[in-house]
Amino acid sequence: MITLRKATSLFLATAIIGAAAVPFAGVIAQDGECPTAQDSYVIGFANLTEDIVFTQLVREGIEGAAAEAGNVEIVLADNRLDGATALANADNFIAQGVDAVIEFQTDEAFGNVIMSRFRREGIPVIAIDIPMPGATFFGADNYTAGLLAGEALAAWANENWEGGADALLVLELPQSGPVPAARMQGMIDGIQDNLETPVAEEAIYLLDSKNTQEESFNVVSDILPSIPDAERILAVTINDGVALGVIAAAEAAGRGEQIMVVGQGADPSGQEEIIKEGSRYLGATGYFPELYGYQIIPAMIDILECRPVAPSVYVNHEFISAENVCEFYGETELLAEFCAE
Amino acid sequence: MTTSVREPRRTTPSSRWAWLRGDRLTTINLVLTFVIICAVFATQSQYFLTIENFLNVGRTLGVVGIVAIGMTLVLVTGGVDLSVGSVAALSGVVTSILWTKSGIPLGLAAVLGLLSGTLVGFLNGYLVAVVRINPLITTLASLSIIRGLAFVMSEGQTNQLNNDAFKFLGRGEIAGLPVSLIIMISLYVIFILVMSYTQFGRNLYAIGGSPDASRLAGISVTRHLLIVYTLCGTLAAFGGLIISSQLASSAPRAAVGLEFTVIAATVLGGTSLAGGKGTLIGTLVGVFILRVLDNGLTQTRISSFYQDVVGGLVLLLAVGFDQIRLKLTDKLGGGRK
Repeated sequence: MITLRKATSLFLATAIIGAAAVPFAGVIAQDGECPTAQDSYVIGFANLTEDIVFTQLVREGIEGAAAEAGNVEIVLADNRLDGATALANADNFIAQGVDAVIEFQTDEAFGNVIMSRFRREGIPVIAIDIPMPGATFFGADNYTAGLLAGEALAAWANENWEGGADALLVLELPQSGPVPAARMQGMIDGIQDNLETPVAEEAIYLLDSKNTQEESFNVVSDILPSIPDAERILAVTINDGVALGVIAAAEAAGRGEQIMVVGQGADPSGQEEIIKEGSRYLGATGYFPELYGYQIIPAMIDILECRPVAPSVYVNHEFISAENVCEFYGETELLAEFCAE
Repeated sequence: MTTSVREPRRTTPSSRWAWLRGDRLTTINLVLTFVIICAVFATQSQYFLTIENFLNVGRTLGVVGIVAIGMTLVLVTGGVDLSVGSVAALSGVVTSILWTKSGIPLGLAAVLGLLSGTLVGFLNGYLVAVVRINPLITTLASLSIIRGLAFVMSEGQTNQLNNDAFKFLGRGEIAGLPVSLIIMISLYVIFILVMSYTQFGRNLYAIGGSPDASRLAGISVTRHLLIVYTLCGTLAAFGGLIISSQLASSAPRAAVGLEFTVIAATVLGGTSLAGGKGTLIGTLVGVFILRVLDNGLTQTRISSFYQDVVGGLVLLLAVGFDQIRLKLTDKLGGGRK
């Protein structure tokens, strides 16, 4: 079952990234001039939503990078997690005569329509996290991000649990398609390829987290009574919130000491759990949404000034644990006290 | 002198089974459904019928169970409250912000969190009972407004609520039983007594049956609806506190969709969406059925996609059979109770 899932998710991930492999870069005219190069640029940024901390950080990073560049004005829009809204925002960008667009939207079907409009107007696009046909892709390398977390958890188990585990709980998000699936597969592979004794197939439990803390609390609460003899339980989770739900369920069942968890994101709620004394949250792969803008804006200027840009630009992921969290987030208010010690 | 001869009491088949009609039969049907579901899962998982598993089920059904009490009361009056999930999220957010940012003691912050739900419930009740806005529209609007407020107040962040005394509410045990289960059962006992043996309870059924007739009979419909929606908001907020306690954190996205689970459990328990009919015992069994179903399907490693299908089918079958039974009873002249 795992093999089939692995093959499917790898195929889908490859297909999606492949679809984005044709960049929409500035085209040099026959006389050698770059027709899109200007002294200053107006770049539209349509955010996925403004309701999530992650996307708020992406927006702040883009605004910061634009200010740093000095010749970029950002026009903002909110896609509200909705394809139709994203299309309306795209039309507005075209009407406003923007020079380029950064798109963060989820709907694949609308992605095609939106891109056809931008192509017709000759507007280059960078798509964040969700590939769009003809746009330069920027975002998470989901499989690698998963792999980093899985490897860290395996290394911990090798050191503390004699290289083995009695069960592996996989808190996934099956309804959201290949992107989170690649992340989960990376974590499973990271564990199974690095654990001295890989977890038996029948001891791997695929659980639908529905991307909420409550649901992960419920499903882990449900599964723990069915593995009463498992004293070394590893858990991999789709994000920090789900990881917190898993730990809460194990603690509520009086089995907190029997579990060790890794996740994805390393957002403030995750960092708070990671630094707790005796924490069962080993760490999470960082996505650094606050830094997206500092890669995207220079890449977009390169595209506009006809310099070559890779078709897919990936985030540099790091596994964040109690050992290195201060290197990345030491200056935040949340960690100031911990990092000062 | 006249003598009267008393005829011997004859017990006809219909009178012998007369007690087994209406709500009682619905409840018995539900209990049987529950037993069958448990029996099926017991054959599939050796761990299903263990004490540990039932304690776990007890620990995880408290939230839905408590919120379903308020929902039953509201549905009995012919209304509905779609804002319960948002209210649950708000109470956790209010508690965590007051505790972590304003420095208010956690106990007081939790009480204020609870009162935030009371306030929302009162406002819902005011709009429904006094301003006469349709309950569906009113609570759909408050669902959106309250969820938005929770996001604004928390800035979209999950906040940790690490306090052992607070965690005891959702994770603790007394005499081996989960605290949240004990609280839930206590609340059911209180509200069953209220609904069955007080004028207030009987008035709610009358209002659900016919608000106009109730007014003519001298019942203050406005006051009753205000109380019921306020209770529903308070219980939803209490459910939210249990969620925050179990997870040791509060999130503005908490309890998304809780309203649908609660309405499903309540309707499964025999409460009519048209008002005037329903029992809290039925709701309690409905809550147990839905939770055990999720628990058993997870333990037997059925895909979550099929879990959704099975949950919907059980709801349809249980309600469908009940409707068929009621129609048959009407046809045979048994009358409805």
